Amino acid sequence: MSVFLLILAAFFLPLFPATMLFTRLAVSTQPLPVRLALVVFWPQIGVVLILWGELEPGPILATWAVMSALFYAFRMLTVREVGRWNAMLAVSAWPLVWLYALQTPAPVDLVAVTLALTTAPVLMLVVREVLVGRLGAAYTGLHGGLARDLPRLSGIIVVATLAAMALPLFPGFFALLTLLGSAPVGFAIGILLIWLLWSWAGARLLQGTVFGPRSGPVAADLTAPRAWGFAGLVVALTGAGLIWTGGAL
Amino acid sequence: MTLSLGRQLKIRSMVHMAAEPIPNFWPMRTFIHHNPLHGLEDHPFPEAIERGRALFHGRGFLARADYQWLLADGRIDPDALDTAIDRALGGYPALQATGGHALIHTLLTRCREPARRPCVLAAAEDVAAILAGGVPSAGDGVDVERIEDILRRAFPPERPLYEALDHLYDTRIGETLDELLIKTCLDFFDEGQSAWPMPGREQGLFAAWSQLAQRNLRLFLRGLHIKKILDQSDTPEGIIAFVLDELGIPESSWPGLIVRELTHLHGWAGFIRWRERAPRYHWAREYPADLVDFLAIRLVLALSLVREHVRRRRMPRNRFELEARITERPAESFLRHELFTGAVLPTRAESVEDAVARGRPAEIARLIGAYIPEKRQAEAGTQSRALEELAQRAGTPNAFRELSPGCLAEVLTELEAFERREGMIWLEAMETTYRRALLSRLHPTPAPPREKRPFAQMLFCIDVRSERIRRQLETLGDYQTYGIAGFFGVPVSFIALGKGSEDHLCPVLLTPKNLVLEVTTGAEKLETDLYSSAEHLLHDLKHSVLSPYFTVEAIGLLFGFDMVGKTLAPRLYNRWRHRIESDKPSTRLLVDKLTREQADSVVRALQRVIIVEAIHKEFGIERESITDAIIRELREAALGRHTGQTHFAQAFALGKRAEADFIQTLQQRYRINRSYAQMQLERLGRIGFSLDEQTYFVAQALRSIGLTEQFSRFIILTGHGSQSHNNPYESALDCGACGGSHGLVSARVLAHMGNKPEVRRRLRREGIHIPDDAWFLPAFHNTTSDAIELHDLDLLPASHLVYLERLRNGLQAARRRTAAERLQTLPPEGGPELEPIQAARMAQRNTVDWAQVRPEWGLARNAGFIIGRRHLTEGSDLEGRTFLHSYDYRLDPRGRLLANILTGPLVVAQWINMEHYFSTVDNEHYGSGSKVYHNVACRLGVITGNLSDLRTGLPAQTVLRDGRPYHDPIRLLAVIEAPFEHAQAAIDGVAKVRSLVTNGWILVVILDPETHRIHRFADGQWLEEPLPGAAHGQTDPTAAEETRA
Repeated sequence: MSVFLLILAAFFLPLFPATMLFTRLAVSTQPLPVRLALVVFWPQIGVVLILWGELEPGPILATWAVMSALFYAFRMLTVREVGRWNAMLAVSAWPLVWLYALQTPAPVDLVAVTLALTTAPVLMLVVREVLVGRLGAAYTGLHGGLARDLPRLSGIIVVATLAAMALPLFPGFFALLTLLGSAPVGFAIGILLIWLLWSWAGARLLQGTVFGPRSGPVAADLTAPRAWGFAGLVVALTGAGLIWTGGAL
Repeated sequence: MTLSLGRQLKIRSMVHMAAEPIPNFWPMRTFIHHNPLHGLEDHPFPEAIERGRALFHGRGFLARADYQWLLADGRIDPDALDTAIDRALGGYPALQATGGHALIHTLLTRCREPARRPCVLAAAEDVAAILAGGVPSAGDGVDVERIEDILRRAFPPERPLYEALDHLYDTRIGETLDELLIKTCLDFFDEGQSAWPMPGREQGLFAAWSQLAQRNLRLFLRGLHIKKILDQSDTPEGIIAFVLDELGIPESSWPGLIVRELTHLHGWAGFIRWRERAPRYHWAREYPADLVDFLAIRLVLALSLVREHVRRRRMPRNRFELEARITERPAESFLRHELFTGAVLPTRAESVEDAVARGRPAEIARLIGAYIPEKRQAEAGTQSRALEELAQRAGTPNAFRELSPGCLAEVLTELEAFERREGMIWLEAMETTYRRALLSRLHPTPAPPREKRPFAQMLFCIDVRSERIRRQLETLGDYQTYGIAGFFGVPVSFIALGKGSEDHLCPVLLTPKNLVLEVTTGAEKLETDLYSSAEHLLHDLKHSVLSPYFTVEAIGLLFGFDMVGKTLAPRLYNRWRHRIESDKPSTRLLVDKLTREQADSVVRALQRVIIVEAIHKEFGIERESITDAIIRELREAALGRHTGQTHFAQAFALGKRAEADFIQTLQQRYRINRSYAQMQLERLGRIGFSLDEQTYFVAQALRSIGLTEQFSRFIILTGHGSQSHNNPYESALDCGACGGSHGLVSARVLAHMGNKPEVRRRLRREGIHIPDDAWFLPAFHNTTSDAIELHDLDLLPASHLVYLERLRNGLQAARRRTAAERLQTLPPEGGPELEPIQAARMAQRNTVDWAQVRPEWGLARNAGFIIGRRHLTEGSDLEGRTFLHSYDYRLDPRGRLLANILTGPLVVAQWINMEHYFSTVDNEHYGSGSKVYHNVACRLGVITGNLSDLRTGLPAQTVLRDGRPYHDPIRLLAVIEAPFEHAQAAIDGVAKVRSLVTNGWILVVILDPETHRIHRFADGQWLEEPLPGAAHGQTDPTAAEETRA
């Protein structure tokens, strides 16, 4: 039973090659609410399975999780479509929950770490939707230099990308700190490498969208209320992350 | 591979010809304003703009949105725009029939985006179908020939192969190539910035690079096998031929390809081009380089990068394979081209990327079958929406809907041509607006003659920044001002005190023959103080390889102190620093020619000083132990004019051998020898001006500005310059007529000449009577603070001292009023209007504020050049936008003085004007972008970030304000006050100026003082018009009737 549950959980806190199911679903699902629900609840199913089945991932599984996360972090460097990039980010972040599960944390903390690692994919989903709505596609390198003409949109791209890079104040940062604090040296090095690759991929994404010479069609910028709405979402998520880390760290 | 001499020369001449359109780049220590399209000035202006676009990818006009903003800002007169539209519309019958003036006016003033959209696949029929409410016909599948044709047109043989690979395989070879070449340039052309210079530079660029590149581990690790290519030939020409053959470029396409390669980094290419032609430039003499070297290196790197990519991925290795690939796989190549040039349909980007990554023919065939109609429809849809929007805004919604496909095709063709030329319409409207405004402010009627001489006559540079202070001085008191080129017509090569190199103080068009030396008066003792020693020590520590590591730890805090002071209280801090820094000693200039005896005497004196030093260094013997006779004898011995034992050897018991060694040391190390003495004599022969030359220059300067009588007590020659901190562009704010240096030296030189009694005696014989109490006094106008500082006051006759206070008061008051006027345009804007005294203080702060990116506007907004008497402009506020050259045609019956003004000052002003024009219309390509990202490179220029082409042109902060044009990008309007035939003959007599006028690089208006009519050159002929709305009571410009001359 536990092996079956373990395999099942490997689909929801995806480990290679079970990751393919999620990436396929994430790319093919169209409406934003469905995508959001998928991103938010998918890993939580994995968490529930771990808690319910009282699964204890051994070092082999943890190593596999790190390798899987590393692989997808590396893939993020080569992907140009933001939706796919985001799916890679998710399947690179969620396997790290297995490392945290090694420490048998309190259920609430396991849920919280998973949610923290889900924040950036959620924000990026919103960004993708906005980009597609305005430019026809969310594709890096196709519409560059948005900062010049679309400052608000560029602003939210930058904020979401910084969240994806797990920079301080964003929940991902504190989740990684929590993981690093409890991980053995070998895994810690793996986590740091993954972090580095996220940052690199994020910088490339910004380079291909926000900075550089302007290219692509003329488009209207985000309206002020929408930009404020996004800012509110970011503040709420960041605040929640800070409240949670207040207890966790 | 060894090339014959003929073939080598052929390649050299190809490179030489290819470089013609590339503008020279002068080192920024003396910034030279120049036209970035100087090499294309023999073409008409609009044509040159088009060629410039193809070569440098730069825009020749502002974006439409910027022109619309200028229109809304009142800087373009709507009437002038209407007139310009009507003039242009005649050439577009289909457009005229469709919507005419109203449609075009709407397009220009109310549409931000072009109405003609790029359509690669969609035809007029498709657009017509959509306009008619239908959909384009599906067509008969994929037209393979069309696709191949599109690709072949995108990759002509003149286009480098790596560009094709970048666009088909996303390889970024071009970017890497530029980076590698820039690194090489930074290494080789360094002028003392790096602590560890590139080895072997004296062998030349190509040889030095070849030696290093073959051993460069980083290149090897990147997979670039440079050596294999370099082994093919010893000469750069041979390498060029080999690489181009290897890449399969047909020889007929070599010139075109070389142009493209050189213009890729036109900043560095322009610098090398200038350097090749500057034989006296120290760094060029020491480390030679030319464009053939530069091109050879570029091609070697390009070939090795292509080979490296070909090894890793399946892609064409030369043009033949590229052609074959297009023929064999047109659909895949087309999709690749769409994807990697960013032209792909956004909705299809992902599927195209997947398909070309997998490379399955069936999948690609399926995709292209769907993609082409979709793209066609998308293009036609975008085009039809743009037309619909235009028609709606013009109030004629059916303007395009009712057109047949044939008519629509014509309209689209004309629309495309019109929008390409649209900039000229805006430009002409802007120029008309300015011309009318300027001409309406002129006063053609001379003022009545003065009853008494003015208190002071001040000669200013023609620079636009002089206009404001001249006006303020004339308003404040009894000052008479004149405009003259800032080098006062005296080309000088100058060696400043303590400097070893010559600066040419004249427009770059001239090469000075005479040298002027600055020497100390000896009034102050020259000694090294503690502060200077510490400064030198710090400099040495900073510029060695290892010491910076510990210097930062040890004394880094001192820099923090410096930083806080400069940032928080720049004026206070700089005043304090001035107090502890040693002042520059008082100096004189050697302006008079030395006689042969004097020159001999100078050389002798120098040699004696050196011998005394040599004796002290070699033997530790002090001066008091040796006599003049001993020194003289040693000098004779070193020059080979004395045999036998010297008294020096006898007195200090030197053996024969030791004596001979010392004599040899004097000859070799201390250069006391005949050939060096001869060279020194020749150099001394260049120093100074003969009496004839001095008389000529003074007479010419005075006559050219019309000052030949009624000399006042003070004739103040005002040179100008700028002062700012942390500003690599400081010399761009200095005097252009002085070759980008300060103008004070030129003023001192002419003052020296003008005050010489013998010169005045000779001038009297030429009819110029300068009274004995008239004194030429040099002064310096600091254009950042507006301060005017008087110089060489120690030479001022005692009789003048009593007037000095009045003079200073007047200058101070004018300074404050000018600053108050000028600071209104400088940030921070929107604040309360400043009192003159506060404004002067703010302006002073700009001279020392290291965080200030815009210490002054410099020559921005320059637009006019007026050659005429002062009464034309006296009292008129010309907003610091006009170059003012004084000229009285009555003193120039043969037109020679006017020809001189046209040849020198006008051409320099045109360079300045064009530099500002192009830096404004496309700051990224023709300008240098934002100063904020600039870094000084090699001590000769700036680059953006840590690696870029040398940035040419002006920074955004000089010509733009808040991203919008502050400078009005219009061509220079020259107004000449002279009888029409007189001025026309002068223009026709100077070939360069005639070419600039007929090709439309300069606009000319001749204001005939005898008829009070103006003659304007337009459309290849002179048009006679009345002076619009002039102060003497002329009629409204709109009522003026144009008559053909």
